[in-house]
Amino acid sequence: MHRRDFLKIMGVASSSTLMTSCDLEKQSEKLIPYLLPPEEEIIPGQSIYYNTTCTECPACCGVSVKDREKVYNNMRGRYPVKLEGIPGHPVNDGTLCIRGQASLTRLYHPDRIKKPKLRDSKGNFIDIDWSNAYSQILDALRESNNGGYKNIYLSGRTTGSLSDLIDDFCKRTGIERAAEFEVYSHSAIKEANGILFSKREIPLYQIDKADYLLTIGADILETFISPVSNAVRLSHAKRKSDFKWFHIEPHVSLTGFQACEKFTINPGTEVYLLDFLLKNMLNMKLYKKRLPEEVVKYIPDFSQEEVSSKTGLKLASLYQIADQFKKAKMPLLIAGGISTRHSYGLETAVLTGLIQWITGMTDSVIDFSRAENYSGVGTMVQMEKLSNRLSNNEIGVIFIARTDPSKSIPVSYFFKENIKKAKLRIGLSDLLTGTIKECDIILPLSHTFESWGDANPRSGLKTLIQPALEPLFKTLSEGDILLHLLKGDLKDLPFRNFQEYLFKKWNENYGKALTEEFLKKGYYEESVPKKEIRLDNKSAVAFLKNIKTLDRIAKPVLVVTPSIRSFDGRSSVLPLLNEIPDPLTTISYGQWVSVPPKTAKSLMLSDGDEVEISAPGLSARLPVKVQPGLPEDTFAIHPEMLSTQVFQADKRSGEGVCYLDKIKIIKTGASVSIPVLSGSMSQKGRGIVPNPVNKKREYDRGWNNMYPEHKHKDYRWAMAVDLELCIACSACVAACYIENNVPVVGKRHHLMGLEMSWLRVEPFFNGHGKCNFVLMLCQHCDYAPCEPVCPVFASYHNPEGLNIQLYNRCVGTRYCSNNCPYKVRRFNWFDSQWPEPLDRMLNPDISVRTKGVMEKCTFCVQRIREAHDTAKDESRKIRDQEVVTACAQTCPTNAIVFGNILDKKSQVYKLAHSERVYRIFEPLGTEPSVYYLRKKGDKNES
Amino acid sequence: MSPEAPGHIEIREQRDQVEKDILTSMKKPSLLFLACLGFTVALATVLLACWGYQIKTGLIVSGKNHPVGWYMYITSFVFWVGIAHSGTLISAILYLLRAGFRKSFNRSAEAMTVFSLMVAGMFPLIHLGRIWLFYWLMPYPNQRQIWVNFRSPLIWDVFAVGTYFTVSLIFFYVGMIPDLAIVRRCSDGFKKRIYSVLSLGWLGTPSQWRHYNQLYLLLASLATPLVLSVHSVVSWDFAMSIVPGWHTTIFAPYFVAGAIFSGTAMVILLVIPMRRMLSLEKYISVDDFENIAKILLFTSLIVTYSYIVEFCLAFYSGNIFEETVYKYRVLGDFKIMFWIMIFGNSILPLTLFIRKLRRNLPYLFVTSIFVIIGMWFERFVIIVTSLARDFDPYNWGIPNLSIIAIGIVLGSFGLFFMMFLLFVKLFPVLSITELKEKLE
Repeated sequence: MHRRDFLKIMGVASSSTLMTSCDLEKQSEKLIPYLLPPEEEIIPGQSIYYNTTCTECPACCGVSVKDREKVYNNMRGRYPVKLEGIPGHPVNDGTLCIRGQASLTRLYHPDRIKKPKLRDSKGNFIDIDWSNAYSQILDALRESNNGGYKNIYLSGRTTGSLSDLIDDFCKRTGIERAAEFEVYSHSAIKEANGILFSKREIPLYQIDKADYLLTIGADILETFISPVSNAVRLSHAKRKSDFKWFHIEPHVSLTGFQACEKFTINPGTEVYLLDFLLKNMLNMKLYKKRLPEEVVKYIPDFSQEEVSSKTGLKLASLYQIADQFKKAKMPLLIAGGISTRHSYGLETAVLTGLIQWITGMTDSVIDFSRAENYSGVGTMVQMEKLSNRLSNNEIGVIFIARTDPSKSIPVSYFFKENIKKAKLRIGLSDLLTGTIKECDIILPLSHTFESWGDANPRSGLKTLIQPALEPLFKTLSEGDILLHLLKGDLKDLPFRNFQEYLFKKWNENYGKALTEEFLKKGYYEESVPKKEIRLDNKSAVAFLKNIKTLDRIAKPVLVVTPSIRSFDGRSSVLPLLNEIPDPLTTISYGQWVSVPPKTAKSLMLSDGDEVEISAPGLSARLPVKVQPGLPEDTFAIHPEMLSTQVFQADKRSGEGVCYLDKIKIIKTGASVSIPVLSGSMSQKGRGIVPNPVNKKREYDRGWNNMYPEHKHKDYRWAMAVDLELCIACSACVAACYIENNVPVVGKRHHLMGLEMSWLRVEPFFNGHGKCNFVLMLCQHCDYAPCEPVCPVFASYHNPEGLNIQLYNRCVGTRYCSNNCPYKVRRFNWFDSQWPEPLDRMLNPDISVRTKGVMEKCTFCVQRIREAHDTAKDESRKIRDQEVVTACAQTCPTNAIVFGNILDKKSQVYKLAHSERVYRIFEPLGTEPSVYYLRKKGDKNES
Repeated sequence: MSPEAPGHIEIREQRDQVEKDILTSMKKPSLLFLACLGFTVALATVLLACWGYQIKTGLIVSGKNHPVGWYMYITSFVFWVGIAHSGTLISAILYLLRAGFRKSFNRSAEAMTVFSLMVAGMFPLIHLGRIWLFYWLMPYPNQRQIWVNFRSPLIWDVFAVGTYFTVSLIFFYVGMIPDLAIVRRCSDGFKKRIYSVLSLGWLGTPSQWRHYNQLYLLLASLATPLVLSVHSVVSWDFAMSIVPGWHTTIFAPYFVAGAIFSGTAMVILLVIPMRRMLSLEKYISVDDFENIAKILLFTSLIVTYSYIVEFCLAFYSGNIFEETVYKYRVLGDFKIMFWIMIFGNSILPLTLFIRKLRRNLPYLFVTSIFVIIGMWFERFVIIVTSLARDFDPYNWGIPNLSIIAIGIVLGSFGLFFMMFLLFVKLFPVLSITELKEKLE
């Protein structure tokens, strides 16, 4: 071959190879700048925040939804990627709880109902369109009215304009509005306040003003009325030097472990304790107010020995609790939650009310003028009546909106069976829950973040609900559905949709300027006149006269405790809340019953053994988790784990009873795998939370470093975690998951021990009835053990003191994880999946890690980057608190503080130089950047 | 000297006999051999299939767990690198020491070294999260100007094992050149052409022999320090970390002794059946086995001593982390493995003090199997228990078994034995020239 021929052939061959290997279609993406920006505020790559209201529980916290522009299926749209509290909001003041953070996954829940559904003759659901659904409903309503049937509208707690619209709708269409259904209706407190003060209301407890807080059963940090608000207020109270908090409960709860002192009381005997306290106060004549003689006469009289033996509290403890009242200037007593949810709950609440009145709390720390808006919420007794009416074939059409009563009311009401007797059942819901599955027509509701509305959590406070994105599916808000239904009847409605309805109303009520402000701020608080609280002697006497002969609930007893993860069970459908472990047991997925260690020993039970729990009306097979601290013969369970969470109702108050006494526990012999994420419930003397009790002995503390010291020029990022303020609520964990695209891996992998959390709450029980919680995240060590062992520099130390993990450099030797004493590194054992539409939640500022790569906490490096960019634009240094990590941002008690430790004015510098400060495993010489502040009671010993 | 002298004829006949005997082993394979080969090939295929599946799905299929980031793969890596060591010991150190029994074992021991290093080298790759980027572990100039981290013991490993493999391979090959020339002489056709290339034109002239002996001595002296250094570096994978149970200074000598111990057991395990199958009883005597059994006994004593020292270090340190790990080793979830290890590595070899048992080949064979199992478990216990009980009790956890990981580990044995069986048929299993030398 000639040289020229060779060159020709080579030229043709190589150019044709090049041409064919360029797949232009796939490899290019069109980047077209806006000619006309769709909305003036949108700048690609920048977040927009919409202030709205969280509706995951009835507390109505203000949330700021972080929206990002993204492209899906060639459609440009705004999608929420993160929730943060609205700073200065009267309920949550910029913070959120674990459920609030996770409520974003309800918006993107893969199982959301996407279209209206109709049950066909075979009982299967078929998709229909909205107009079809409306006409079916209107026809049914007409038919039912003609047939002389009653129609019912049953909903969960509803406040604000939507409640008004429902009233309006019901009036116009001849529907009867049933009392709203909430499991945690706090009926006993309402009833007691009605008896004593003629106010059937739940007041606002101003914990922040108190210097002595005594909580009886009330899980103020988990589910009690407004947990985030309580936590925020508690953190303010804790910052006062003389604040004391005692907690009394019949089981163990997360709230209990946060108190200064925790006492265990026999279930149902709270009345004895309250009686003792009240008598003690009367005898000591501590307070100016005097109870009228006739009331005093009827207060039951028990000797202190009797109180002690009934309650199970030592005399010393009784006096410790009582004496603290003497020392306190501003005491606050709250009884509620588990302590009012039994047959003596009303007595408990009434005696509490008397103490609250006599000590003057009702004039100071307990505010009835800003009472929580529970006026529409009904009781269990009302549900029983409704069930009876259903059973009597009185009901034609029943609407069930945003509530799932079938699992939450006593089985003896046969609600699930009776509801089938209604002629037509219409469910309004976002997910197919137990009750909604029984319906004939299902109308899919838009999530709060897709709809307009407002809420009215308590007197004088209105919060805004506004959409942050277009509805993902063919869903509508409840207001829109009702207006559509009205349109059939009424052609002359002055508004086309619920949004117009709301704006008209707001403009009428507040005027234009205030409405503008309301839309911007997301809430509006008006001053309310103070209410005078008077004791209604007659009705108090009438109640005390017939006070039930008190006894205690017989053991062994099963207690259904509220769960910080699922509230009353409603949030258990969110995958993220199953992924994050329960802080007390560290169990993530599945069901279990908590068993006290002593009982477990006598029944020869250990973690994962299956037991059969039986009692009249209940039979359940569940695996066991041995729970340190739980009193003998008390079994605790979360609401979503049983077929019913309320066993009967107190006829007087209508409060549900969540205790089941005289249960039988039999070991079945089977064993069930439960994902207990903690390897040990004890610190094993390692001083992770240093306390003389936790520490066996000093370990080696001499070390020399062979490497030169790192130089940090302008910034060295550090974090301080105040364990005094930390309430182990796991909100930070949920925030971290969502902010950093941390994958939810599911039960199978949790059973293998492969959770992916970058941040976790570690509980350590010390065997003296106390539990220390510690927040564990990457410590960003100055001499990080992970750094020298990485063969490819995927783990390296950056000039700002961050321990960086380069995902695209990592080859996956896992040596860094082995060598990390804190074990905070997570390996991607497989490619994680975000099922549609959860993938829209992904934070575009941070990558999704592929299989074979190590990942870990980055101190939210994307937020640091953003602050750097802003600071650079304005030619200045980053200010203190300009960078707030996701965990610090959401913390209700502000226990986490992040900042630049080189800046001597920064908060983190001050905390890192507090006398309470210590670092975990300090003698290892890793020089962590996370500083922990030990609890105030613990001794200063490292 | 006349070639027809009667003594010379005798020696010549003997020489021919040696050649014939050794080369017989390279003749057509028996059915038993083919069955063994088939079995090992099947096992090696299992390894490849499991590995492929693991690459596709991710390491989740290997049943690994947090906190035990290193599990059966790294255990196997350390085990196979250890096996390699006695090959070098026998061929290089015993050569320098002029130990006579070396000639019975050196060729198979050298082959074993090369093959076990090949198997060992696979394991860090199998264990890698992103194996397709394995070349990032090697320093090479690149436009991104990213270098490897020379502070990481894993990089030291790359160099240590790489060097060791290169030197062992050259040593193995150079030692075989004169024998390959004999094979070339005795074969014809295509086979002859291949062995011609392999024997590098060896003629056996006195000048070639002079150079050859010099080279062999040089290579032996080069390989000798590697016996000590390579496993020391491998042990530093652990000793350089801060993990309790790993972070200890005795690891280097402890691992080297363990390596020679396990390798010697593997030599015995390979040579006893080979001797029987290829009828080499004449060339590999029971005396030779007795000698090698003494090495086994000696290294077993060092290993046992290390165990004791290790525990004393932990308990005298007063360090709560160390104490917990060592208590956990003896009494924890992996106590069965621990006690098998103690039995196989420390107790059973003590019986070799009895001369009769040292000379009893079946007994030696069984003992070697126990040593091999014990040594695998030793690495397993060190790696897994330390990671399972480290600093923060919240993270304590144990790994779970997986079929894929077991398949890969068993497959690695299959691959190793497959290569050895092929070696037996393709190369002279004993050094013909050395045996001839001895006749004179």
